[in-house]
Amino acid sequence: MSMIYLDNAATSFPKPEETYVFMDQFYRTHGVNPGRSGYDLCMETGALVDDTRKELTAFFNGTNSERLIFAYNSTDALNLALFGLLQPGDHAITTTVEHNAVLRPFEHLARYHGVEIEHVPFDVHGFVDPDEVARRFRPNTKVVAVNHASNVIGTVQPVGEIGRRCRERGVLLVVDASQTAGKIPIDVQAMNIDVLAFTGHKSLMGPTGIGGLCVQDHVDIRHTRAGGTGVRSAHRLHLDEYPWRLEYGTPNVMGIAGLHAGVEWIRKTGLARIHEHEMRLMRRLVDALREIPGVSMYCQDGLEDHIAVLAFNVDGFDAGNTGTILDVDHDIACRTGLHCAPRVHEQLGIDKIHGAVRFGIGPFNTDEHIDAAITAVGEIAGAHAHVA
Amino acid sequence: MPSIELNGTVYSVDENGFLEDPKLWDERVAADLATTEGVTGLTEEHWRVVRYLREYWLSHDIAPMVRKLCKETDTKLARIYELFPSGPAQGACKVAGLPKPTGCV
Repeated sequence: MSMIYLDNAATSFPKPEETYVFMDQFYRTHGVNPGRSGYDLCMETGALVDDTRKELTAFFNGTNSERLIFAYNSTDALNLALFGLLQPGDHAITTTVEHNAVLRPFEHLARYHGVEIEHVPFDVHGFVDPDEVARRFRPNTKVVAVNHASNVIGTVQPVGEIGRRCRERGVLLVVDASQTAGKIPIDVQAMNIDVLAFTGHKSLMGPTGIGGLCVQDHVDIRHTRAGGTGVRSAHRLHLDEYPWRLEYGTPNVMGIAGLHAGVEWIRKTGLARIHEHEMRLMRRLVDALREIPGVSMYCQDGLEDHIAVLAFNVDGFDAGNTGTILDVDHDIACRTGLHCAPRVHEQLGIDKIHGAVRFGIGPFNTDEHIDAAITAVGEIAGAHAHVA
Repeated sequence: MPSIELNGTVYSVDENGFLEDPKLWDERVAADLATTEGVTGLTEEHWRVVRYLREYWLSHDIAPMVRKLCKETDTKLARIYELFPSGPAQGACKVAGLPKPTGCV
């Protein structure tokens, strides 16, 4: 068996064959600057960009495809949103389950821009209580930003309930859907999400370097950058109209093409079918690891409202060492450490032992992959038990 | 500069206990350094790893990649952790008298 890839929470790999083929073909035949110059080919390329906006808007049940913004990735998109929504004197609420894509922009907003930030802890099962969020509302609370699903413990947060409380108070809800877009359904209207940030290279099955925002009609985000838009060049300032308001310079056509193909593949395969497959493998994995002495899993006591992301440690081994053994002895690729989500590890009390090992299951993983992972973890735990 | 006394000999080491001057290494030094890793008797299996690390470092001025170490010594990484509980970088390289690796193993 060739390398077993269980690092899908970092990026999905491989991509569907359709993604590779379409990117290659499209860029060979349409690799021009989209919509800028007016000749037929450039208009055709622009049409793909617009079609992908519409496709993603429908995918997230948004209402206005002009407010589907392309960015480099979730971090880039979240920077656009958070810096464009918050001003000195504002208060914002986030959680300890966040990735640095949210945590660090907030730290910068707090340190350099006079924004007050509060972090709501997750409970013992890994979930944020919407009432705990609501209890922190203040008259100057402008934004709540939450991770739809944790990239460490895989818990899916009750975003709809958090959103409902935000709506009642006129607070904007920004959701980081890096781990969920393409894994589970997202309905920005039903879930009261005002701004959704997504990345293309994880479960949306596109390449790296493409992501974006889905911004609801009633939300206005200030532009914090400025530059070329390809239209209305005489304007001295950056345009206010969407999507140009939040897009700067020539877009990543190759990335958008790959994202288009990835979303098409999800549509054909079926979101529910992909999730069901991944969660079946997840249950197989968790059930087996639970039986291995010396293996500790975090917030995996139930798999309801979870995605197929598992954090664990093996007694006697630093997480990094377990990962290296999995790589070298068993040809299993995974991620170890703090996973860019330091507060999760701090709350779990495992930051001092260098975090955890993470398995991220993807649509192309098989029962054989999971069985090999179970055997490998069992051998590592057994080796330590033997020495101890 | 920190130093440690092992079996009556004082060694200059860095803050992680790695030999300050790798040229001062010999097999007796290896045996002394091994005691800091909780290894009291170096077996042929230990020596196979230590000698490979030492020779590779002398030839390349860098520690080998862990995958290469395992392949060339025909030793599973899990076994290396049994032989050197701190692992290939913190444990085996220290015993082999290498400077603390910044990458690779």
